[in-house]
Amino acid sequence: MKEYTLFAVGSAIAVVLLDHLLGTRVTVRRTFWVTIAIMFFFKIPSNGYLTWRPIVIYNPDYFLGIRLGTIPVEDFFYGFGLITLTLVLWEFFLRRERRHEL
Amino acid sequence: MNTEYFIVLGAILFFPLLLSFVMRLGMYRRAGPLLKAMGIVSILYWAWDIAVTARGHWSFNPDYVVGFRIIGMPVEEWLFFLVLTFVSIFTYEAVRKLLERK
Repeated sequence: MKEYTLFAVGSAIAVVLLDHLLGTRVTVRRTFWVTIAIMFFFKIPSNGYLTWRPIVIYNPDYFLGIRLGTIPVEDFFYGFGLITLTLVLWEFFLRRERRHEL
Repeated sequence: MNTEYFIVLGAILFFPLLLSFVMRLGMYRRAGPLLKAMGIVSILYWAWDIAVTARGHWSFNPDYVVGFRIIGMPVEEWLFFLVLTFVSIFTYEAVRKLLERK
């Protein structure tokens, strides 16, 4: 198993677990999955450009070498983890602030 | 020196930033949660990025960055996480407003 592959998939799983541990339940909502679909839609041209140019150069020692277009498959797990962690923490802090206002 | 990576970031940020003011999502009335979520995620992903960039998972093409580096990473890469966390929260709130409107 390549390192980036492991880290990317691991981070995607970890954030879903965190969502359940914190009780934020972001990943069970339709709003969340629509957000992921929109983010991934725009990820294709932006991440695609970065990897096509290439502005970011990936080391074949650390990823599987499977690319969708020019984007390493790991980037989709990485992106999912980044977006999801952001939304889980946003929901977490939002709820905490609202609770304090009551 | 080249501004391509900067332009990609600008392209990702432009419409979300513009629409965040137009759509009245209430994000800025929740500046605390917004900054906490963006800050914590950015710190975690900066640490990950610094570690694996040093390890060699990926590198940044000097032809397409402005050339200002902090701890070995182009300034664009630092901004990347602030841009992506903001855009994620914006998209989520925009979708929520459109889907969950009573």
